[in-house]
Amino acid sequence: MQRPDWAPDGIDIERPSVARMYDYYLGGSHNFAVDRAAAQAMVAAVPEAPLMAQANRAFLRRAVQFLTDAGVRQFLDIGSGIPTVGNVHEIAQRNAPDARVVYVDVDPVAVAHSREILDGNDRAAVVQEDLRHPERILTHPDVRRLLDFDRPVAVMVVAVLHFVSDDDRPAELLRTLRAALAPGSYLVLSQASADGRSDEERAEAERIYRSTDNPLWIRSRGELAALFDGFELVEPGVVWVPQWRPESADGAEDAERSAFIGGVGRLGG
Amino acid sequence: MGEPPGATAVPVAGPPAATAAPGATGGRAHRPSAFARAWAKAVSGTSYLPMTQAQLEALLQRLTDQLAAALAAEPLDLRVGHRVGTELVAAHIASAEGLGRTVEVVQLRLVRDLGLVADDVEDRLARLLAAVATGYARALRDRTLDEQESIRRAAMTARAQAERALRASEARFRHQATHDPLTGLPNRTLFTERLTAAINSPGRGAERVGVCFLDLDRFKVVNDSHGHRTGDALLVIVADRLRRALDGYLVARLGGDEFVILVEHTGGTDDMVAVAEAALAAVREPAVVDGHELTVSASVGIVERQVAGASPGDLMRAADSTLHWAKAAGGVRWALYDADRDRQELARHALSAAIPAALERGEFYLDYQPLASLHDGRVVGVEALVRWRHPELGVLRPDSFIGLAEETGLIVPLGGWVLAEACRQAESWSTAGGAAPYVSVNLAVRQVDRPGLVQEVHGLLRHTGLPPERLQLEITESTMMSTAAEPVRALRVLADLGVRIAIDDFGTGYCNLAYLRDLPVTELKVAGEFVAGLRAPETRADERILASLVSLAHALDLTVTAEGVETAGQAERLRAIGCDAGQGWHFGRPEPAERILERIR
Ligand SMILES: C[S@@+](CC[C@H](N)C(=O)[O-])C[C@H]1O[C@@H](n2cnc3c(N)ncnc32)[C@H](O)[C@@H]1O
Repeated sequence: MQRPDWAPDGIDIERPSVARMYDYYLGGSHNFAVDRAAAQAMVAAVPEAPLMAQANRAFLRRAVQFLTDAGVRQFLDIGSGIPTVGNVHEIAQRNAPDARVVYVDVDPVAVAHSREILDGNDRAAVVQEDLRHPERILTHPDVRRLLDFDRPVAVMVVAVLHFVSDDDRPAELLRTLRAALAPGSYLVLSQASADGRSDEERAEAERIYRSTDNPLWIRSRGELAALFDGFELVEPGVVWVPQWRPESADGAEDAERSAFIGGVGRLGG
Repeated sequence: MGEPPGATAVPVAGPPAATAAPGATGGRAHRPSAFARAWAKAVSGTSYLPMTQAQLEALLQRLTDQLAAALAAEPLDLRVGHRVGTELVAAHIASAEGLGRTVEVVQLRLVRDLGLVADDVEDRLARLLAAVATGYARALRDRTLDEQESIRRAAMTARAQAERALRASEARFRHQATHDPLTGLPNRTLFTERLTAAINSPGRGAERVGVCFLDLDRFKVVNDSHGHRTGDALLVIVADRLRRALDGYLVARLGGDEFVILVEHTGGTDDMVAVAEAALAAVREPAVVDGHELTVSASVGIVERQVAGASPGDLMRAADSTLHWAKAAGGVRWALYDADRDRQELARHALSAAIPAALERGEFYLDYQPLASLHDGRVVGVEALVRWRHPELGVLRPDSFIGLAEETGLIVPLGGWVLAEACRQAESWSTAGGAAPYVSVNLAVRQVDRPGLVQEVHGLLRHTGLPPERLQLEITESTMMSTAAEPVRALRVLADLGVRIAIDDFGTGYCNLAYLRDLPVTELKVAGEFVAGLRAPETRADERILASLVSLAHALDLTVTAEGVETAGQAERLRAIGCDAGQGWHFGRPEPAERILERIR
């Protein structure tokens, strides 16, 4: 039967979710058999997949650390995923207890899980929205309640843009977000890249992710750098994520194996 | 998510080992030993660790200190091993690989790196490691189960939420589908549903149910003169008032300015009349819309009956017909359903619907009634009268089907057939002596208003060869009055051709003689009512009116025929007044043309 257009989407846990696959890569158990099957297929094709996820998650941690050190107290984390370990509000609020965080994700299960975790934290909230509707995110009452856009906000779009195709005009989406930000705000981006990877690996990864609601859209370092339009990239610019302000010298070894590129930009003015 | 419990300080059982650095249990930073660094290196990458390498090393240094202390203490406290295993998992070093690497590095390096010496150190280490593995596996199992439970709970919550959202949107959709967007009242769909339920619910047969159809009088005028926005605003006000005045009954909007009220469990028609009057009163209140004070009225059709044997469709239709009766009676009122009247109307309606097929099958025919000269009794003309030989109902006279044919427009084909047939037959009439009688045919207003009238008549005359002066077209006074300039011009063209134009039923309408001067009229047919008045000797007034009418007509060069002449006395009086011709039973009833012709010949 055709679904009537007024009916909201249902919950389909028979389909792998990229949020729960990611949790699996990170070593979590917030996942179902379908998710594990897809994640294991990915690991079979790209054995470093768990390390890539870990490298990205570590980048996220260092970026939040950097931002709190820079005085940022407000975070809008879009595509926040299943809260496993090392979430933005934990890192930020450990450094700055007054930090406020709003999580945004399209995955209803991820959102329900976040909501349970955040219960009782009056400086953090979660919103079910889509990065492809930035105006809805910006006007959402919970976003408005917790974040003051007259003051700097760090917008995090970490390990999400590879689920946003060029047809969805990511540059425009980010421009809409940027327009809402005060000077001194930041943008954190990371995403999967295939630079230096074999065509087979890339094709296999794309095939596996086609079984999810979020097919992959790989970008090059140059393409990601272009998405920082309007922001000044902080050192060291868009790099393999392990190379972004590593905490120890050996942290950045074999950086390109992470297959993740990322960077942090600051809104001047 | 969440801080590993006790990540900052876990009291260590037993005294600090000699080899442990002072303060190791206090969580204060101190340089990690080579062993702790090696351990950190071994476990990093086994799962995501939400901490810096330095934090990881500090944590493992603390656990190293605890293990070392335990190995040195007597007796060997295996709980320390369990606790270390638990702590590792709590710090998210929580994977099969994490355990494997830990066992490996502790087994290979702990004793050597820390330079621990004891006779049974191998033995003690094996037991302690087993305790670490046990504690670790238990904690990992619990953690896995907890996470599975929490993600399942999240999935259930999300699903419940999605279902709620679905139900809400279904409810919204259902509301939209069953309500009128302008007024917010239930719409026809919901009304029909509720009416059907009221009728079809089991055990309700003995109850009574009623429906009021309400429609604003001349609402179109409001729309036309104030615009649709004002019209809509008025409808919203009316809807609101009806809802409030009829609280407890279902008030729905059917569309346009039509509303309907459902009354269940009525006690009889009185209840319905009360509802209708409340509705009429609610509508009557002046309403201020966009600064205009608008006063509207309404008409209501009421149906009330026992539930048994009722059907929603029939009830709605009956209420609709009844509403039309109220409207036809001038509006600002209610009308009560009358089954007999409805049956008659239905029958009439069925009859009119059968006209086209009857025309095709040749079920119509013409009779003629003579128009006789009052001077010499000669038949000067005949009026064509249509008959319908109905296969079931027998021969029908025009009054049983012409009215409806006029309403529905079927009069155009039917009247056209009559005209053509009359011309065709009249052409063949010849009389031995004087001129053949002219044939007089009635034209309905719709026929007169049609643009092609002149061509139609012209064509018929040419076709049949009937001389124009032997055709008379009868038009009622009201047709004449309601007709615009164009049809009058058409009649003039026909009159110029020589066709006779008669005003039928003269005296029943405006009775305004002045306008006759400007019309191409040849004859007046005075309505039977006037003639009827001549029967009683005391009604001199009628006679005088008639006399002055005749002299006026003559002054305008019109001939006068009196209709409905039934007696010789009337004929005599009319002759005395100066009337030219007469028609009625006295001169002959309608009959086939041959019979009349036979008599004349
Ligand atoms: C790989 S996880 C990243 C989690 C976290 N940001 C991190 O980097 O550790 C990607 C998340 O993005 C979410 N996501 C994918 N497309 C999205 C979109 N268009 N809008 C919002 N979230 C999206 C997925 O549901 C998933 O939870």
